[in-house]
Amino acid sequence: MKRPSLSRRKVLQGLGACMALPFLEAMTPAGMSVARYVESTRPKRLAVFYFPNGVHSDDWTPKGLGANFELSRTLKPLEPFKKDLLVLSELKNREVDVRGTDGHYAKTAPFLTCHNITKTTGSNIDVKGVSMDQVAARQIGQETMFPSLEYGVDPIISGVDQNVGYTRLYGSAISWASPNQPCSKEIDPHHAFNRLFRTVVPGKSSGGQDPWRKSVLDLVMDDAKRLNKHLGAADQNKMSEYLESVRSVEKRLTSQEKLRDFESNITPDIKKELVKLNVRLEDYVEVNSGYDVTQKVRLMMDINALALWSDATRVTTFMFGNSVSNRNFSFLDGVTGNHHTISHHRSNDRLLNMYSKINYWHTEQYAYFLERMRSMKEGDQSLLDQSMVLYGSSLRDGNSHQATNLPIVVAGKGGGVLKTGQNLQFEKETPLANLYLAMLKGLDVKVDQFGDSEGVLTEVLV
Amino acid sequence: MRFALTFCLAIGLSTSTLLAAGYPPDQIHYWDVVMPLMRKYCNQSCHNADDLKGGLNLEGYDFISRIQREGELFTRLIRLVENGEMPPENKLQMPQTEQDTLLKYIKKYLKEALAIPNPGQIPPRRLSMREYAYAVQDLTGIRIEPRDYFPKDPSGGEGFDNFARVLYLNPLLMERYLEATEYIVEEAYCNVGHWKRMVPGYRESWSTAFKVWWQGVRHDRDISLEAPLAAAEEQITAFATRAYRRIILPEEQQKLLDFFLVVYQELPDIPQRFDLSMQQVLKAVLLSPNFLIRQETDQPTEDPYLVSSFEIASRLSFFLWSSVPDDTLMEAAYRNDLVQPELLRLQVQRMLRSPKLKRLAESFASQWLEIDKLADPSHGVDQEIFPEYSPDLGHWMQQEAVDYFYYTLTGSKNLLELIDGRYTFLNEPLAKHYGIEGIAGEKMRKVPLDDPARGGVLGMGGVLTATSLPHRTSPVLRGKWVLEKILGTPAKAPPPDVPELEDAKKTHDEMALRELLIIHRENPACQGCHQEMDDLGFALENYDAIGRWRNSYGMKLVDIDASGMLKSGEAFNGPVELKELLRKKKDQFAKSFSQKMLGFALGRGIDFKDSKTVAALSETLLENNFDASLFLTEVVMSYPFRYKLSDPVVVQEF
Repeated sequence: MKRPSLSRRKVLQGLGACMALPFLEAMTPAGMSVARYVESTRPKRLAVFYFPNGVHSDDWTPKGLGANFELSRTLKPLEPFKKDLLVLSELKNREVDVRGTDGHYAKTAPFLTCHNITKTTGSNIDVKGVSMDQVAARQIGQETMFPSLEYGVDPIISGVDQNVGYTRLYGSAISWASPNQPCSKEIDPHHAFNRLFRTVVPGKSSGGQDPWRKSVLDLVMDDAKRLNKHLGAADQNKMSEYLESVRSVEKRLTSQEKLRDFESNITPDIKKELVKLNVRLEDYVEVNSGYDVTQKVRLMMDINALALWSDATRVTTFMFGNSVSNRNFSFLDGVTGNHHTISHHRSNDRLLNMYSKINYWHTEQYAYFLERMRSMKEGDQSLLDQSMVLYGSSLRDGNSHQATNLPIVVAGKGGGVLKTGQNLQFEKETPLANLYLAMLKGLDVKVDQFGDSEGVLTEVLV
Repeated sequence: MRFALTFCLAIGLSTSTLLAAGYPPDQIHYWDVVMPLMRKYCNQSCHNADDLKGGLNLEGYDFISRIQREGELFTRLIRLVENGEMPPENKLQMPQTEQDTLLKYIKKYLKEALAIPNPGQIPPRRLSMREYAYAVQDLTGIRIEPRDYFPKDPSGGEGFDNFARVLYLNPLLMERYLEATEYIVEEAYCNVGHWKRMVPGYRESWSTAFKVWWQGVRHDRDISLEAPLAAAEEQITAFATRAYRRIILPEEQQKLLDFFLVVYQELPDIPQRFDLSMQQVLKAVLLSPNFLIRQETDQPTEDPYLVSSFEIASRLSFFLWSSVPDDTLMEAAYRNDLVQPELLRLQVQRMLRSPKLKRLAESFASQWLEIDKLADPSHGVDQEIFPEYSPDLGHWMQQEAVDYFYYTLTGSKNLLELIDGRYTFLNEPLAKHYGIEGIAGEKMRKVPLDDPARGGVLGMGGVLTATSLPHRTSPVLRGKWVLEKILGTPAKAPPPDVPELEDAKKTHDEMALRELLIIHRENPACQGCHQEMDDLGFALENYDAIGRWRNSYGMKLVDIDASGMLKSGEAFNGPVELKELLRKKKDQFAKSFSQKMLGFALGRGIDFKDSKTVAALSETLLENNFDASLFLTEVVMSYPFRYKLSDPVVVQEF
């Protein structure tokens, strides 16, 4: 027997619709022009895009250095953004290049941490540091609803790679909130959208929230605290994870103030985009074993861009695929087979050509994201002008797996700090961490050293 | 300590001084005789902190105990030295006598280490999403699809998703738990049948109403809350006990009851008042760490001890049923039956007969065989090349493996039939796919096989597809699979810097594969592993990339050559002969299977300290015709399943 639900959650009223934006003039400090003030308060953003399995080396690096360069075959889709680009050669993630480690997992997890990881099938996961995006999130992410958001396309890879003795978890995460714990990535467009925007899209609201939600959360936190007192180190660890998680959820979900803050960011322009995206999402159904990956990637990218534009967060990462991704790329003309296998091209021309096409597809998607960001305006600037958008892989050539001369591109002016429009070639084996340090500094993150950095990669800065 | 010791050794302190310092003679003998050998032949030019050959540093093994702690590593090293693989040819060679001495003592240390029983620690763990969904289903009757709410769980140890250390909790998960909980409780409430089982409810009778009124009027006492509180107490206690898998503590009970009262008093006097208040309490229970996290109480001792009855009940039900204990098991735990081996056996036998055992088959088989890949949309079969394949077919292939595995547990009870059997489980589309006539409808059923090639996991579409590339077969992947899953001898990682195969600019055709792999093997660095791996894979070449039988490649009428040889020298041709050989290697299969199942049962990796348990379990299989019930019972009865070590930090604190 079924009966209608009686505990319908209370409808939140008066939110979203009529929040008047404060008058800018009244807010502007004396002696400062409105324009300058807006400039100084406009937040800077960081977005990272990781793709697996490296690149066809010959087709990646542009010809010509400095401002006069010609985009390569793989980077061609970035032509409209040439002035917003930094193409960087000869950067190396030095710490991962250790004998006895493996080609993929041991390079993916440290892509943003720049440390060597502990080899394990799971009992002592350790990446030895916090990833660069999370370092940023700890400082510039505190004012927003989410300190950072992690996106992807594929679920974590199951199992343990018995040949190399690594848990495949290492190959499934680039964002590490602590050396022992990766961030979970969101791979479902519906979930990702609803998590951020369900209260601001008409007809989407689930009707506010349970009035006792906070009491329930307080109660279970009490449980955890009580347990915490009687437990050993490992146990406390699990309980601290639990406590931190509940705290963060409580802070966000039960704070009307934060929600109102966020909702006041939703300008009519943003709202228009949200409504459009919502319609596309309603048409998107993921069946058991097949979806259009281009469509999925673009939906996730739209959400990613809107998350940054609406200031739901200022830091995002995105994984096109996990390490050793075996995505079937036969949907591309002239490609037959899966990504990882093709990346082991053995210098075979036919395979190299397919490899290049797969790389090109990734760049096209990245260009789509940049295009979206450029169309999103913040005053007289675009969101892209306010952001740094890193695009890269943790190895150069998929056939030989070195972490030298990594394929790395950064787009966006980062709020005016990045000197874009250049193809730069550094000295061989320049630490990748130097770039991250420069980016972090550009984002006004207080940090003196990162990973194995030896200094700031000043060439990329204005 | 290290410094002091190096210092002592450097200035050449005499044995008697060290003895006087309290070091046991064995340890001093190690410094005098064994350690210098390791220094000379292992550390000096390769396995030190700077050179790190093979990623291995053998410096710093100053104490026997350190070697004993890394039994896994040293067992492997012994094998390498015995096989003559270490030291490598181009390095300083170890004279036979010295090698004998070195190995003799290392073996002795390891043997001593094994003599001290060590059940290992089982750290607290969050329920895996699979377990969470089943536990919720058993508690509330509501089924949720974990995929709809949660990111996929990572895996570790033996490759399962119940591996304690990587089952993280984070804000995203917690948010989803909250969402799922609110859905589950509402949904349960909407289904009167489910709800009444959990919350029988409270209805004020005429006589209670009168009593409340009378007490108010006569004695100025408000007793209107007494009756609903009493009902709530009973119902909350019953639910929380099942969810927490133990007796709930008085203060836990009080907190939940207080919360009930808060909600109850805030609500107006409507008929649903009691139920609505209970809803909130159930949410708190389902979100509590007591439900979401499995944890055992640590005792203040450094010695191993038997875990409590309730804890065994949990271990047992999560192992066999992927869920919380049922009432019968809880009652047995309450009577403290489960610490008695005979009574524990009885429970295991009862549980093995339950249909919930199917969950073990689903969870274990799909992860062990690694066919859960088929459900991952990015691991697609190229449907332009194979239009006959569909996601549905992939789903039935998975189902075939699960049903087959379940049958070896409950029907034939013979786990050796995993390698070969003259039956399988099919429905119409899958039967057609295999070229078998006369099966109608989508229902999966047991079908006898005439053809000796198909039976067993090696002939299953799921395994054959999961070990193929989207567009063709991969003998290397299939060979690797056989080595890992059946023989338990995974290949080593490919050496770094494998030179490119310049000569190998061949076509990408399946037909050229054997030729290409032969060229590949000309490199001695590759040959050691690939020879056997490739041959094992070629034995299955008669199955195409989606598991259909074929006698030749494509239209080109090139016959398939499915011949090969095991490392140990036995030749074979095709799947039938391969299976025959693998059946003869049943001791290897028994060991590999025991290790996997023990790892799954314990939720941790299996290593050196478990060697005795693994050996005993494989003996059980070999001596009892691979009887599944007996084997699973022995897994439960095994030392590490029933015993544990406390977290060392706890021991120190007490």
